[in-house]
Amino acid sequence: MNWGVNMKLRILLADDHEIVRRGLRALLEKHEGWEVCGEAADGRGAVEKTLQLKPDVVILDIGMPLLNGLDTTRQLLQHDPNFKIIVLTITDSDQVIREALDAGARGFVLKSDAARDLVSAVEALQNKRMFFTPRVNDLVLAGFLEKGHSLSRNETPKLPTLTAREREITQLLAEGNSSKEVASLLNLSTKTVETHRSNIMRKLSFHSIRDLVVYAIKNNLIQIELPPPKAPTGPTGPTAA
Amino acid sequence: MTIRILLVDDHPIVRQGLKTLLEGRSGWEVIGEASDGAEALEKAKELSPDVMVLDVTMPRMNGLEACRVLRKRAPQLEILFVTQHDSPQMMREALEAGARGYVVKSNAARDLLEAVEAVSQHRVFTALNGRDTAGAR
Repeated sequence: MNWGVNMKLRILLADDHEIVRRGLRALLEKHEGWEVCGEAADGRGAVEKTLQLKPDVVILDIGMPLLNGLDTTRQLLQHDPNFKIIVLTITDSDQVIREALDAGARGFVLKSDAARDLVSAVEALQNKRMFFTPRVNDLVLAGFLEKGHSLSRNETPKLPTLTAREREITQLLAEGNSSKEVASLLNLSTKTVETHRSNIMRKLSFHSIRDLVVYAIKNNLIQIELPPPKAPTGPTGPTAA
Repeated sequence: MTIRILLVDDHPIVRQGLKTLLEGRSGWEVIGEASDGAEALEKAKELSPDVMVLDVTMPRMNGLEACRVLRKRAPQLEILFVTQHDSPQMMREALEAGARGYVVKSNAARDLLEAVEAVSQHRVFTALNGRDTAGAR
């Protein structure tokens, strides 16, 4: 799509913190010709609003409840591979970057750098380019581009792949929902959810919900918040928003 | 009522969101920003704000340490924590450090204005996610 003189670039924002959405909106709407056409507080809301509003650019936080940003990206691109998606994260770990690239995101911005990088990222996507935070390891990017989404040889083999629906259910269970609650959230029968749950546990050789929670954290399906160090003095590291 | 506020959070985008919210209130002014506890101490000395909105987990010096120092250096300054930590233990620690208020970041859009108003009048305001611990007292 070409953005004409009078045509606004429409952006959809999804983050579970309203205060972050306010900050992002204020930042983006300072840019002439851009408007935030909608907001969502979780991944499922983001899918719904994106399909309804058809924004030009979608900005997704990775760590959202109900459906995380990576699976939201995957679901949206299944509906329409032309959606332009920027993922916001609190971490620039190689694993998360690879997953964002694999999911099909065209932009990757660290939340801590959003005030500096987000406008550049949206401009890049507007001009049909990709944008990755300068902190992205060049090797990760080069490896991804050369191998066409495949994993490097040195990488630890992944656990058996879950389907999109199984990942969605894994996240909801790891967030503390019962099978009945998951069924209600996804408009499925409890029996169907129980079947998915059994399949997930069998595929991953897990025997308890605790194993599932650990898996969800390790694979960035959910994120946890850690308290600052107990010591009364001394430096602390950068943190989540 | 005029309230002069200093915002302290290591994420500029969060500060921007908080600022937008606070400056929507007539007479309230964000007079400065800082991105860690050490900078907060400097700015507090320089600007003498009425209220400091303070994050807990930050680089260099965290908010609890900064709060303890400020309690001694600037007893008239009211401190309100706005943090991701939805935890009664952390809230207790913040109040023990000398803060007057505690709001969870995910609820900031709902609780912040009321909390700033309360602490600016030297009243305690605490609210955890889904559990109103005390409200304005």
